[in-house]
Amino acid sequence: MRRVLLLGSPNSGKSSLFNRLTGLSQRVANYPGITVDVASGPMVSLTDTELVDFPGTYSLEPISGEEAIAVSFLNEALADDNVCHVLCVADATRLEKCLHFILQVIRECQRHQKPVTILANMSDVIRDNQLQFDPIGLSEALGVPVISVSARESQGFEPLVECLRDGASPSMTTVRNWRESPNEILRGTAQQLAAKFSPKGDVLINSQLRLDRFFLSTALGGLAFFAIMFLFFQSIFTWSAPVMDAVESLVSSLGQAVVPLIPNKIIADFVADALFGGVGAFLVFVPQIFVLTLVIGIMEDSGYLARAALICHRPLRVFGLTGKSFIPLLSGVACAIPAIYAARSVDSPRQRMMTYLAIPLMPCSARLPVYALLIATFIPGDTVLFGLVGWQGLALFAIYFFGMLVALLVTGFVSKASKNKQSEQPFVLELPPYRLPTAKPLLRNAWNRCQQFVTQAGKIILAVTMVVWVLGYFPNSGADLGQSWLGTLGHFVEPVFAPLGLDWRYGIAILTSFLAREVFVGTLGTIFGIEGSEENMLPLVDHIQASGLPLGSGVALLVFFAVALQCVSTVVILAREGSTRLALSMLLSYLVGAYLLSLLVFQIVSVLF
Amino acid sequence: MKNASVAKALWDLRPGEAATVTGFGDTLSVSYQGRVMEFGFQPGARVRCLLNPGFGAPRVYGISNSVFSLDREIATAVFVAVNNPVEASA
Repeated sequence: MRRVLLLGSPNSGKSSLFNRLTGLSQRVANYPGITVDVASGPMVSLTDTELVDFPGTYSLEPISGEEAIAVSFLNEALADDNVCHVLCVADATRLEKCLHFILQVIRECQRHQKPVTILANMSDVIRDNQLQFDPIGLSEALGVPVISVSARESQGFEPLVECLRDGASPSMTTVRNWRESPNEILRGTAQQLAAKFSPKGDVLINSQLRLDRFFLSTALGGLAFFAIMFLFFQSIFTWSAPVMDAVESLVSSLGQAVVPLIPNKIIADFVADALFGGVGAFLVFVPQIFVLTLVIGIMEDSGYLARAALICHRPLRVFGLTGKSFIPLLSGVACAIPAIYAARSVDSPRQRMMTYLAIPLMPCSARLPVYALLIATFIPGDTVLFGLVGWQGLALFAIYFFGMLVALLVTGFVSKASKNKQSEQPFVLELPPYRLPTAKPLLRNAWNRCQQFVTQAGKIILAVTMVVWVLGYFPNSGADLGQSWLGTLGHFVEPVFAPLGLDWRYGIAILTSFLAREVFVGTLGTIFGIEGSEENMLPLVDHIQASGLPLGSGVALLVFFAVALQCVSTVVILAREGSTRLALSMLLSYLVGAYLLSLLVFQIVSVLF
Repeated sequence: MKNASVAKALWDLRPGEAATVTGFGDTLSVSYQGRVMEFGFQPGARVRCLLNPGFGAPRVYGISNSVFSLDREIATAVFVAVNNPVEASA
């Protein structure tokens, strides 16, 4: 298959173009460096052509991990005979930051005899703001074709597709040879071209300055930051509650309708306990994952995330991190794995290492089902302020805040213990313009995240619940869970969890959760499903309340899950991106820390209540 | 009245103040000097300090239609000239 490379500066709209040209849904955000890995897909208009989306980079002289990856992949790709064309995306409204990179790309393409076309994106912004841009003049100056496009409005794609279909670039009246030009010459040329061809004036800056004055001021900006974060956590409960209730009712009704139709008792018990009890209990929390991803997407798409990174820079430096750590950390609220990849954008290796230490402590979406289950068990669902603020949302905010606090304390401690000022890098960040988020890609991204969550975690949960069910059902056909194989195993590990006030059932659920945290919910669902009567399929919260779990144990469980690194995938990615030693030492130290902290919390809560 | 050029570091610009980039200090590494030049902070370029954000955050500068945030380490190593109108001496 023919391959076309898509390169560009960060925040030039490259991933949006990729999505438009392929019909795929590569993650897009209004923040520099959101693409940290290479994605590819066949083009909609040319099914025999694969488009390859590279991470955005300002230069072919990398200073961050993501840029090093882009440059390394580019060098490999340019040597590939299947690569027939290179597309270099530039933000036409901000040409001055793209031209040096464009010239470097043209030079490398000429050296490898690959045709290159410049896609001057944001033609809609040029038009709407009545800016002047001369693509023909720029094309003559560069010696390569320049096509004006708008990824947002899908405009200007026809000449591009024609150019790629024919396999030949439009004929150029001027051919310029950049092969032997050193970077210094290219930089000077870029400056001259920027002065001549960049849209004049600073109308775009002025329009965003008013918002920046608000969001970056000490008083109002700080208030806005905390208000946005507070609403973020509230929305996870309040917005998703109706859909969660609907899913729960659907799972329960479906179970009650299907199970009686199964003639074989063992299979009927399996379907009721493992499928509807175990996997069904986990599915209830998928709407919260949707809302979580959607709200993070809105913050990214609007341009606010870069501002949040900026105002967090100084406070985060106290804890050995940088403002650039903020994005991976917030991504970690959705899932640690993309967050670890996103940490490549942190320039300093030391600050990147600190970011790795903090990411697994971020309250990821896999923790959400566990938190939501335990919070719903102990905290009433009442709301105040016309339903805007709920006690459960406040409790979730508190446990999320606790996880973040622990993360900062850990990185602060390690940073102070291994102080090495030399390895810190200066902070430089592009602030993208504010944009109104577009609903369709945000909803699609949230939907994809849910699908990914269900298919990836769902497989593990199904496998674990099947094993747990077999161990819990036999040898006495579910008559006495305490005397089952699972019960025997549970009583063996019970002494470890007894100091936390947890019986063997919770011990087993914790052990299985080391595969993935959300397995805890599925395992408990299966265990209580085997214990419960077939006719009365209660929600898992009711089962836990009926089991008499003490408040101290519930809070200890929350603390344990907030700190422990119970995710095989995260450990593997940490080993790959960091080192095996780092991953194993984090696994062990976070486990010991989680146990000791939860023990302390159990003792305190038991004395107080 | 005539214009007198005052040399200072980019970090010393007050919000709203504009200046022309004149050069770079030795404290800035070659890679970061290259990066800020790629952003448009080249000698001769017109730069404006847009904001001095709260929480001790890095300052915000505008070049043409682009906005960048630079911390003290970088902004003190970028030298600028401010054209200030001064009274002509008698």
